[in-house]
This record gives sequence, structure tokens and C-alpha cells, in this order.
Amino acid sequence: MSNKNSINSLNNTGLKTAIDLDQIWGDLNLGIRQVYNRESMSKKRYIELYTHVYNYCTSVHQQQNNGRGAANSSTKKGKHQVGGGAQLVGMELYKRLKEFLKNYLIKLLDDGIHRMDEDVLKFYTVQWEDYQFCSKVLDGVCAYLNRHWVKRECEEGRKYVYEIYQLALVTWRDHLFKQLNKGVTNAVLKLIEKERNGETINTRLVSGVINCYVELGLNEEEPGAKGPNLSVYKESFENVFLEDTERFYTRESGVFLAENPVTEYMKRAEQRLQEEQRRVQIYLHETTSERLAKTCERVLIQKHLELLHSEFKQLLDADKDDDLGRMYSLVARIPDGLGELRGLLEQHIAAQGLAAIEKCGESAHNDPKIYVNTILEVHKKYNALVLVAFGNDSGFVAALDKACGRFINTNAVTKSANSSSRSPELLAKYCDLLLKKSNKNAEEAELEDTLNQVMVVFKYIEDKDVFQKFYSKMLAKRLVQHMSASDDAEASMISKLKQACGFEYTSKLQRMFQDIGVSKDLNEQFRNHMVNSNETLGIDFSIQVLSSGSWPFQQSFTFGLPSELERSVSRFTNFYASQHSGRKLNWLYNMSKGELNTNGFKNRYTLQASTFQMAVLLQFNVADSWTVAQLEENTQIKQDFLIQVIQILLKAKLLVCDEEENDVNVNSTVSINLGYKNKKLRVNINIPMKTELKLEQETTHKHIEEDRKLLIQAAIVRIMKMRKIHQHQQLVAEVLNQLSSRFKPRVQTIKKCIDILIEKEYLERTEGQKDEYKYLA
Amino acid sequence: MADENDNDRIDDNQKPEKMFTLKKWNAVAMWSWDVECDTCAICRVQVMDACLRCQAESKKDSYGKQDCVVVWGECNHSFHYCCMSLWVKQNNRCPLCQQEWSIQRMGK
Repeated sequence: MSNKNSINSLNNTGLKTAIDLDQIWGDLNLGIRQVYNRESMSKKRYIELYTHVYNYCTSVHQQQNNGRGAANSSTKKGKHQVGGGAQLVGMELYKRLKEFLKNYLIKLLDDGIHRMDEDVLKFYTVQWEDYQFCSKVLDGVCAYLNRHWVKRECEEGRKYVYEIYQLALVTWRDHLFKQLNKGVTNAVLKLIEKERNGETINTRLVSGVINCYVELGLNEEEPGAKGPNLSVYKESFENVFLEDTERFYTRESGVFLAENPVTEYMKRAEQRLQEEQRRVQIYLHETTSERLAKTCERVLIQKHLELLHSEFKQLLDADKDDDLGRMYSLVARIPDGLGELRGLLEQHIAAQGLAAIEKCGESAHNDPKIYVNTILEVHKKYNALVLVAFGNDSGFVAALDKACGRFINTNAVTKSANSSSRSPELLAKYCDLLLKKSNKNAEEAELEDTLNQVMVVFKYIEDKDVFQKFYSKMLAKRLVQHMSASDDAEASMISKLKQACGFEYTSKLQRMFQDIGVSKDLNEQFRNHMVNSNETLGIDFSIQVLSSGSWPFQQSFTFGLPSELERSVSRFTNFYASQHSGRKLNWLYNMSKGELNTNGFKNRYTLQASTFQMAVLLQFNVADSWTVAQLEENTQIKQDFLIQVIQILLKAKLLVCDEEENDVNVNSTVSINLGYKNKKLRVNINIPMKTELKLEQETTHKHIEEDRKLLIQAAIVRIMKMRKIHQHQQLVAEVLNQLSSRFKPRVQTIKKCIDILIEKEYLERTEGQKDEYKYLA
Repeated sequence: MADENDNDRIDDNQKPEKMFTLKKWNAVAMWSWDVECDTCAICRVQVMDACLRCQAESKKDSYGKQDCVVVWGECNHSFHYCCMSLWVKQNNRCPLCQQEWSIQRMGK
């Protein structure tokens, strides 16, 4: 009460007179006690306290402005005892405040020192929160001191002078924390362990302590730095906590694994990792998150990595996709942990692919559908696994691709065919099955889908040039024989291939497509032309004119065209010459075919026959029997070929012969079988000849080899033109790399091609240098 | 279909004069330029294929019309028309025989 008067008087005097600390301390001290006793305080009272501090500081401040040096040496009130330097007023108040806080805390410590476990936590957190709050109020009261005296002290580099709130924290740290922290930390750890063991705990206790530890991390060295530096939190809690965590989980994982399967362990580990993250969120400082995760990962995963790896194989074998996914997400947390899994996955897929093809046995060798579908099933299964369980991780995608590339290009089927080109061949044949007209053609949408699947396998095919060869052969046949199921599907497939391999890969296929369109128009024009000129050919004639160079057809040998056909050929040749100039036509009799009506049998049959068969059969309009030699002379068909034609006609029972079918020779006599009969009235006798097929296969493979040599030479020249001088090894490596999208050249062949180019004087060996070539412009 | 029907049996001795009559023929032919040398001496590409320039261009549009025709000189040598029209700008002689170049005919 007595102080009240003096304050009033101070205010009245306009605060210019010097004020002794003792004048205000009494009331200020009282007020501070009120604060720390958490008594409610009116705004007025708060202002009073603030004013005490303000008055005290400003009264001396006045003198300061008069002159520095003089000010502190002589004229002063309550601070001469400090003396020396640029000491400003405030020190005494500061000291008293410090003393107050110290005494307050020492008394508090007395109360807390003997407490244990949760009790100490309760005590510590409650006291801390109060203290923190009260100190903030005190800080407000002393704001003026902070702003001026403390600031100046700090600016002048004085150590251990803090703003009042900081001072409160430092004092707490020095007097309470230092004594209690071990016990408190231990109690916190005990509490956390309890929670880990499934008990419910009062997390407020933990978070209270953590908040306090964080707050106590003062930046003593740099008072200007913002926020706590966490040193106290890290030293007194985090480090111990992490050690404790490591100990806990080392023990737990060991015990758990001894009693449970690995799959259960993974669930547990996953759950534990989640729990720990939640723990950080709920009551620890966020910076602990990463270190805690690392610690847990090390203990829970890395230490058991070998066990997980060996389990991985078993899970793959058992198709446990969920567990595989769990393992992936666990191991993915360990740096470089996935490498081993990728390797294992690759091995597994490759082995599964090989086994699946092996299991199909003989049928996979000859049935393109079974072969391709077997591959696709394996791919689909593991593609889904990689997508779902392994989150489409690029490393796992690569493993899948590598494994597929391996088993698709080298497997039981290619081994028994002794050639990796069997895969592209079968794939091309599968395309033919899909795109050829048949009674089981798929719906448009379904077909499109299947073709996309084909492209999946195509991606893995090494010898894409082989696929191209076979595909173009079969496309050519489909187009010429009008056997395409759908033009749209054909076009769509070509555009897919173009997308995958570029313009050049499909340019010939596209040209074939065009030729067919042009031929359609041409037939129309020719028919009109014949009508206009009042001519008839006597037969139903149609033609396809193809551009040479784009079609994979063999030239047919010349033979004596039956007189019945001559007219058509000459009329059309004239017509074509009138439409175009500078062109010559080459008739592909082996590709041409027609129909014959029979007049001499029990029924009137229509025979669908090749041109050669037609030529032979038409001979029987002249006589009922011929020797093979006579037929050869009349038709001009090469003997070995003629014999095959006759064999097929014998097999069709249109002709008869005394000799066995396979023993037919030049001297055999063949006769028309007048008793021929067939259930169908339209009979297709135009079946491909064995040697023709075999020849085709052989030439296809031969062409592939030849084309490859040209491609390799082109690549070598391209590279050498750029490099001018190049080492053999590097040249080979670059050639392999350039051509990898098309096929995998053998090093042997590359060497051969280099020799050819040296001979052709594109390159020469560098003199005096081993294995080095020079480009000759 | 053709159930045995003995009444219909055609007498062997009375067969029509022709055993087989031609009904239909689907011919296949290949056209090529009527040239002595398959390769264009200027661009070294087969005359059946488009010349190098045209190939490079048709790479850009999806697939341009193949309009790269052949041209024959009076000397009977033949080249891509595109190649030759560039050539004569520099030198109005046939690259192969050095005769004065004049067009005999064009492919179509």
C-alpha cells in the first residue's frame, strides 16, 4: 500500500527524477510473487508493475543521454557499486530478478527431487508449464528492460545476459533441469516403453517434457538466432531415446522372429514403423522423425535383410503378392536394399517363363498361339505383380523386362529349333492367325486388344528383323489371296510396328497395302476397257499388279502358259502398257491361281487350283494318259517341280498312276481318274508343296543373313565416317549398340563385314597400329 | 452333299470333248521399270524405290504418294526423275555416257 503513494508521486513528477531501485523493488517483488503464485492480476496492476520497471530504467536513461563517459563515472543512483565500462542502469534490477528466479526454483527443486517415475513427470510438466507462463508474464513486465538495457548489454558482447524470459529458462535449466533431467528422461522412456508394450499412457506428460526440452535449447552463442536450437532436446532426450529404441526393437524382433514366420514379422515391423511415426507426431519433436525411422529401419529391417531375401524367393514361389508388396515397402526403406530383390525377381521370372514354355512341350513348338499365350501369361502375371506389389518401381520393371527378354529369346522352343529366330517367327505366325480370315476371327475390339498383347512380346524380341521378314511374307500372302480378316486391323498392326520400330521398318508393308488398293482400281478399269472394246476373255479374269522390290515373292520360272490363258495375259499386258509407260510386267504364275470346271466326272465339280495344276490338268483335255516326260515337254514345268504337282493331283485322286505316289518318275504314266468323286462340289486342290514351303523357309533365313550383313556394313560405314579412325573393340561395341533395336549381330559377322569393307576400300587398317581402322573417303 | 446316284452316271465312252474348262483365273504380276540397270547412278538407290530425297521427305508426312518416277534419256540410260532434274542444272550430260542429255520418255 505504501508503494502506491510513491508511484503516484512518480507519475506526477513526470518521471524526470532519479529513482532508487529500492524504491520500487518492494512493490515489484510483491507483484512478481503474485505472478509466480498464479494469482489473478488486473490490467491495472500489470501496468503498475511495468511502470515500475519503466521508471527505474528511464530515470537513469535521461542521464545517459547527457554524455556517456561522464554519466557512469559520477552522477548516478543505484548502480555505482558495479562500476567500470559502459555499464548501464538495469543491472541491479536484472540481478535481483535472477536471484528471485533462482530462489524460486531451488525451493521448487526441494519439492521435486525425491519424486519418481510418473510422479516426477507430473510434477515436472505442471511446474514447467506454470513457470513458462509466469516467466512470459514477467518478460512482459520487464519489456522495457529487455528493449534497452539487455539489448545494449548484448550488443556490447556481454555474455550471460539474457532477456528476462530467456533468463528464466536459463535459470530453470541450471537449477531444476540439471538436477532432475535424468530422472525425468528415464521416466519418459519408461512411459514410452509401456506404450510400446500396449499400455495406454498419458501422452501429455511426455509431450510436456519434450516441449520443455525443446524450449530449453537456447542459442546462447547467438542471441539473435531465432528459435531454440534443440541441443538440450537432442542431448538429454533424443540420443538416449534412440538408444533405448534400438535396444527395445533388437530384443523384440529377435524374440518375435524366433516364434513367428517371416510374413508375420513383416506385418509387425510395418506396424511398428507406423507406430513410431505416429509417436513422433503426437508427442516428440518433428526432427526426431527421420532419425527414429532410420534407427527402426536399421534394427527391424536391415539387420534381418538376409532372412528377408531368402523369404522373398519362397513368397515368389507361393505367389504371395500381399506379402511381397509388404516386403518391398519395408526393404525399399533401406538404401540399396532392393538390388538383391530385383536380381531374385529377374531370376524367378526367367525361370518361370522357361518352365512354362517347357511345360507346353511339343505343342509350343508348332502352335504359335500356345507359344505366344504362354509367354503372355507369364508376362501378365509378373507385370501385375510389379505394378501392384512393387509400385511399378523402375528397377523392378527393368528386372521384369530383362527376365522376359531372356526367356522369350532363349527357351526350350528356340533351343530345339537351334535358333533364337524361332521366337519372332512364331510371333509373326501368331499375327497371321489373328489377321487371316477364318471362322474364328475375333471381334474388332478384342482383336485390337490381342494385337496390343502381341506388341508386348514384340518389344522383347531381339531379332526384330526376323519378325519383319516373316510378317511381311505372311502379310503379302494375306493381301494377294484376299485373306485379310480386316483392313483396319492390318493397318492398325502396321502402325503399331511403325511406332515401335520407325518408318523404315514398315515402309514396305505400307507399300504392299497401297498396291492392293491400286490393283482394285486397275481391275475395274480393265473390265471397263474390255466392255468398251467389245471383247471377252471367256474366263473370269482378275489380276493384282504389285510393285517389285516391296513384295517378298520369288520370281517364278517360265513355263508354257496354257493357250487358254494366253489371251488374258496378252490383253492385259497391252492394256497395262496403255496405262503406264516404261514399265514391264513379270507374271508370278506360282502366286496365281484359278478355278476349273470338270465335265467328265459323275458330278460337275469346281476345282480350285494353282496355275501349274491347271496347266497339267488341261493336258487331259487332249488325252486321258500322259507320261511325265510328255507332260514336262508340253507344260515346260521343271521336272522336279512337275513331279510334285503330279503327286498332289494323285493324292487328290484326280489322277491315277501305276507307281506309288512317291515313286513317280519321268517314265511313269499318269491317267485321269474318271471315277473321281468328292463329297464337296467345290474342291480346293491347291495345297502348298513341301519343297516350296521348305525352300521358302530356307530363303527367308538366307535373306535375313544377307540383309543383316548389309545393315552391319552400313552401320560400320556410318560410324567410321564420323570417327575417321577407330579401335576395333570400340567399333564392334558401337555397331552392336546401333543395331540393338533391330537384331543382335554376332561379333564374328561384324568382323567379316569389316573385312568386306576393307576389300571394298571403305576402310583400311592403320599402319603400325594393331586393331585400328581408318575411314577412306 | 453328293449322295451316290447311280442313274446319273456318265458313260465313260460318252464324255464331253473337254474334260476341264477354265472358269476363273486370279493372276499376280509384278511390275518394274523397264531399265537396264536397277540402280540410279546418281543417288545409288534402286529405281524401284523412291530416290533418297523423296524417301527422306515421305518420312515426314505419314506416307506420301510414291511419285518418284524414272526417266530415260536418248542414250537409254535411266535415272530417278528427281535426281536427273537436279543433275542437269549443273551439267546437261548423261552421268554415265557423257552424251548430251535429252529425255526420251518418262515413267508413268
